[in-house]
Amino acid sequence: MAKLGFVEARHLVSRTGLGAEWNEINRVSHLSLNQAVTQLLQQRNQRVPAIPRLSSWHKMSSLYNNIGRRNMVRRIAMNEGKVLQTWWVKHLLTTRTPFLERMTLFWHNHFPSSIEKTKQANFLYQQNLLFRRHALGNYGSLLREIAKDPAMLLYLDGNLNTKKKPNENFAREVLELFTLGRGYFKEIDIREAARAFTGWTVNKQGKFFNNVAEHDNGVKTFLGHRGNFNGEHIINILLKQKRTAEVIAEKMWHEFINVSRPNPHVIQQWANIFRGSNYSIAKLLHAVLTSKEFWDKRNRGGLIKSPIDLAIGTLRALPYPLPRRGIEHSLNIMGQGVFQHPSVKGWSGGTDWISTQSILIRTALMNDLSGSRFKVGGSVSRRLPNVSGKRMQEWLLATRPVEKVDLTLGKQRLARALVLDPAYQVN
Amino acid sequence: MDRRDFLKYSSLLSAAGVLPEFVYASGVPQRQDKIVVLVELKGGNDGFNTLVPYRDDYYYKYRKHLALELKKHKLFELKNGKALNPSLKALSHFWDAGQMAWIEGVGYPQGVLSHFRSIDIWDTASSANQVLSDGWLSKVLPQYKKGLHGIAVREGQAILGPLDGTNLNCITMQNPKSFEKQAYYIKDVDVSRQTAALLHITNKQHQLYEVGKKITEQMRVNRAYTRGARGFAKGKLGHSLQSVAGMILCGVDAPVYKVTQEGFDTHTLQLGKQNNALYQLAHGLNTFATIMKKNNMWDKVLIMTYSEFGRRAKVNKSGGTDHGTASAHMVLGGRVRGGLYGKHPNLANLDENGNVHHTTDFRSLYATIGKKWWGVNTPWQGYGLIPFIK
Repeated sequence: MAKLGFVEARHLVSRTGLGAEWNEINRVSHLSLNQAVTQLLQQRNQRVPAIPRLSSWHKMSSLYNNIGRRNMVRRIAMNEGKVLQTWWVKHLLTTRTPFLERMTLFWHNHFPSSIEKTKQANFLYQQNLLFRRHALGNYGSLLREIAKDPAMLLYLDGNLNTKKKPNENFAREVLELFTLGRGYFKEIDIREAARAFTGWTVNKQGKFFNNVAEHDNGVKTFLGHRGNFNGEHIINILLKQKRTAEVIAEKMWHEFINVSRPNPHVIQQWANIFRGSNYSIAKLLHAVLTSKEFWDKRNRGGLIKSPIDLAIGTLRALPYPLPRRGIEHSLNIMGQGVFQHPSVKGWSGGTDWISTQSILIRTALMNDLSGSRFKVGGSVSRRLPNVSGKRMQEWLLATRPVEKVDLTLGKQRLARALVLDPAYQVN
Repeated sequence: MDRRDFLKYSSLLSAAGVLPEFVYASGVPQRQDKIVVLVELKGGNDGFNTLVPYRDDYYYKYRKHLALELKKHKLFELKNGKALNPSLKALSHFWDAGQMAWIEGVGYPQGVLSHFRSIDIWDTASSANQVLSDGWLSKVLPQYKKGLHGIAVREGQAILGPLDGTNLNCITMQNPKSFEKQAYYIKDVDVSRQTAALLHITNKQHQLYEVGKKITEQMRVNRAYTRGARGFAKGKLGHSLQSVAGMILCGVDAPVYKVTQEGFDTHTLQLGKQNNALYQLAHGLNTFATIMKKNNMWDKVLIMTYSEFGRRAKVNKSGGTDHGTASAHMVLGGRVRGGLYGKHPNLANLDENGNVHHTTDFRSLYATIGKKWWGVNTPWQGYGLIPFIK
């Protein structure tokens, strides 16, 4: 089978990895499309850096229950939230399975549970491992596990959902964001689903606990089905709905194809493959990454780089030194602080990454990174590949540059000019 | 002006400050004449301890040690059994001058008790079960003026909130100085149609360049006027209001500024915390108003507070209050018709969470500002107008 070659390999690596890494592009350029995609879907390395000790649920809940010390919960959560960020950012910067991380981030955003609400860094760490385990696995299993995940139970008030006082928060978002999407259910379905999930909570050990005493054993009517449902039943019914696969397929479009409205025929195809494989994420991704749309030249540069793509991608692809104070703060102010989603909708991404404020910060960051250690024969210059100006442009930009770039500049200057071009902001 | 001129002028920025003769020679800058300053009270401000219903027996019954008493706590009496929290004393003269309005019971049906979701509702003027993405001002300001629409100022990360919208020209900043510094890196670019993504980015960058150029020019030419904006107490709100006052005096042509006072999520030991936050609010706004008056701008400014929700009617076991629904909000300005509006919620009739039922929909405030201040029709006229603007 035909080899991908540099330009196509560059496209695949920069969209599926974290940054257009020179060596990786050159390695992939000798593979066929199928080989390359198969290798991606086999990324399994789940080793993550060690994490400092995080306060236990037991400790945090006893602090919370002590009126005089309740304020400490917020302080600890704030500090440990930063620890978590540093931990994951470090992994994002160094991992050798960037596609796995990208998909972990995808699920982290599909199922947000911010530190601000949960205040349990420990639970969020566990949840992050869950996402990584299932990142290329099965969506049905992931959904079932997330419904019982302690961080999620806190984030969407599942732990407060009891027979006497049903709380609809989780039920609403399961329907609206995790499966069907708005317009495919009624308010009554939310109420009935909430009743079915009653009793699912977190015990003193910080584990999922099905408190049958708080479960509503009455008959529920949900999306036309009737029965004494529990949470498992609700999820099973949701997984039978066509919309569930479509919602995920649409998100994949925005993750891998472009920022515009998805093509409904393609979404149908992908959703059928997804459902037909009983929600195999790898099967769906295989369809996406081998699709005509993914490889269509008109979609090159069709995505806007997320702050993580931009900052971490740049630091992985180019030999610029990591700023001394790290990159977490930049990610936060560009709007993609991990474990810190702005709302249950997660980061909307796409064109929403770009505001007048974020342009200021994105530009300043690229200026800082590309402007450091600027000297001929310096460490940056030495570690840039010795290639033609044209190849340099093909490597760093997905489209033609917006401004005139002089390809005969010295390589560090040229890299800087390309990184500062607006075209560097798209992928 | 091309890039080179921009740089040239930027380099004059610091010099302009020491050349007041040159500056004054150009006359008082053209300023916006219908400015709204939105003050977000972040965390959910307790309306009952802000505008105290000191004749409501339920208030004292529900809030034993938290309730404020007229004599004991030296409340500032307004009328109809309502009095101001003593920490707001710095603002009491506006009541006497008939320039302070309070709207009671402001909320919306089926009040949501989540900070994030509820501030989204306030920001976008949606209903409890409706998700909208654009801020409420996106349905108002484009009809009122072209060009710059608003500036959100906050130390740390400012959020556009009500100013967010694809049809709005709004920016966020920490303060004008750091904005000028960052904007220096922004080049004007040609709009590129290679992809929708690139079109969006180059459009925004062009817009930012234009707005940034205007703001920095305005600030440069009239820099001397920022000296009029002083006397603010330390603290985040004071700094933000100082920036806002400076930009108004320099003639930056934003009709809306958004600032934030934090510290209202008072689940525990509320008295001290809320008083502190209200004190900063009162002193910041009073200094701001004094500056506006001195510069004949007080009739051209309207200040409104808002918050994601109010708080529970009853005190909790920690000497604080949990998330609630309706709250009281304040409007200040030279053209405000002072008084009490809306209706104090019935504390005898609480919902299943122990929260009051709202009496005034928050969207009627938006409708009033749209219609009576900017003369623009809004989608919320059906909620009724409130006559707090002359």
